[in-house]
Amino acid sequence: MNRIFRAACATTLLLFMAPGLRAAVAGERPSHSGATAAAAPEQDGASAPQPDETSRFRISGFATLGMVATGSRDVRFIRPSVNHPGGENPDFGPDTVIGVHGDISLGARAALVLQAISRESTLGSFDPRASLAFVSYALTPNVTVRMGRVRVPFFMLSETIDINYANPWIRPPTEVYSLNPFNELDGIDFLVRTGIGGVNIEIHPYYGSSILPIYQGGNSHLSNTRGLNISVTAGSLTLFAGHTESEFALKWSGNDFLALSAALNAVTPNAANILGKLSGNDGFSTFSALGAQWDDGRWLLIGEYTRLDSRRYTHDAHAWEVTVARRFGNFTPYLTLARHTEDKPVSTDMTGIPQIDDALRAFIASRNLSQRSVTLGTRWDFYRNTALKLEFNHARISGESWGSFFARDPMNARMRDRSINTIGVSVDVTF
Amino acid sequence: MHNTLGAFVFSVLALMTTAPLAGPPETQGKARPAEVVIVTSGGIKVLSREEAAQLFLGQRTTLRDGTPVTLIDLPAGPARNHFYRELTGKNPVQVRANWSRLVFSGRVRPPLEAGSQSEALELLARTPNAIGYLPANASDNRLKILLNLSGS
Repeated sequence: MNRIFRAACATTLLLFMAPGLRAAVAGERPSHSGATAAAAPEQDGASAPQPDETSRFRISGFATLGMVATGSRDVRFIRPSVNHPGGENPDFGPDTVIGVHGDISLGARAALVLQAISRESTLGSFDPRASLAFVSYALTPNVTVRMGRVRVPFFMLSETIDINYANPWIRPPTEVYSLNPFNELDGIDFLVRTGIGGVNIEIHPYYGSSILPIYQGGNSHLSNTRGLNISVTAGSLTLFAGHTESEFALKWSGNDFLALSAALNAVTPNAANILGKLSGNDGFSTFSALGAQWDDGRWLLIGEYTRLDSRRYTHDAHAWEVTVARRFGNFTPYLTLARHTEDKPVSTDMTGIPQIDDALRAFIASRNLSQRSVTLGTRWDFYRNTALKLEFNHARISGESWGSFFARDPMNARMRDRSINTIGVSVDVTF
Repeated sequence: MHNTLGAFVFSVLALMTTAPLAGPPETQGKARPAEVVIVTSGGIKVLSREEAAQLFLGQRTTLRDGTPVTLIDLPAGPARNHFYRELTGKNPVQVRANWSRLVFSGRVRPPLEAGSQSEALELLARTPNAIGYLPANASDNRLKILLNLSGS
């Protein structure tokens, strides 16, 4: 069948093979069961020193097999700028992911962490990429510096965007989490932990750059990215605030954009001005996030507000989500309300030529993610380290926007103010 | 739409019918397990309850004086669940979700999971600066009791 389905099958296979891989590695430890502990001296030779358990390479992982079905034939659910618009319905592309994580300690203070992840990219490929690759060093017991590749830390739940087992939902609400789709930050960060009484505070400054390929070709690039996160935890409550500033470049080189550019250049002397608002390397953006979580074991409440201001190439927008979840034994039903609102479109310039303006409007609308939605779902922890999730989402696209959907026929898309239902089911594991 | 719905219903049914074969997770201990003690092989002199909770929640990886600590977990089961509930107030699903976030973001290493209670005892006795937990009656004279969780 098609490429995405094959990729999903490959991922599933990996998912079932990975525990075996881990067992093979774990089996090399001399003392992971009473029996091997007793046999270890014979295997290793009586004179061999007992290896320090703490310094050994450890491997573990996480995976999600997820599918999402859209109730309308002419649109596809996507995680904007994260995955490729699927050709299939239901689609395994948006939520299926597998990650393999390894770490090794380099003495008492330093550690090396490597993680590879495979998920559908904006180009439709499941090629694994390095999602973490850093050396950490504990400067003091409460200050750690990390150098290399870390997860982009823009959101409250950035660290678990791909680790769905750690979240109540199938995926973090797209209204909020599509507002800044970058994955990895190549650079340096500091984790400073402090506390007063029963209150734990983490201060997290970072600096680096990030690159993201975009659908049909081209890439977006954050550079000179600097930011600061502060999170405060007291008992069941966690508060989060983060702010980041970055230079920003966005280069479209896909066929649709090249066709649009050629058409604009042919009909208007203003083409360079219009295109300069859509694509180039002279952008600057700021992003802020405020969030709160309450988790007392029975109730899980999550709220987050995010805001993006950008000089060029992407719209200004803000988004929020509120989730209420309640645990009943192994079931955790949840309700999420979310909204993404555009504050300023990418561009409003038109040419006066109807056909070209239609194309321009379609392009600008596809860059607008405004929608609101309600999600009702449940998580079921039916087996150790395994959760099944089932959710229904009702989204209403706001104005000239595509929301978190992609029109199969972009030029003839009728997306304005539509309501679209999706159903998702997924299984998350950690191993 | 019909095919989509059919595929969806089939998937859900398939998942639901395979689930019971896998068995329920160990979220609810039925009988109250034995009292639990936090133990070390020596070297570590004192451990406050707050420090212990922070260690087993991954909020810190060293003692106050900077000594790095190796945590030893019992295998998944009622004794481990009881320990985490007593010390941190968190249920097994919360504990695993919390550790999966911390581990896969590369912030901390997870506790070493022993294959059995007796292996946990061996690991604790042999590993420098190890901290673990055992039912009170399972500890032996190689280990020092740092905290007793029976009081709560």
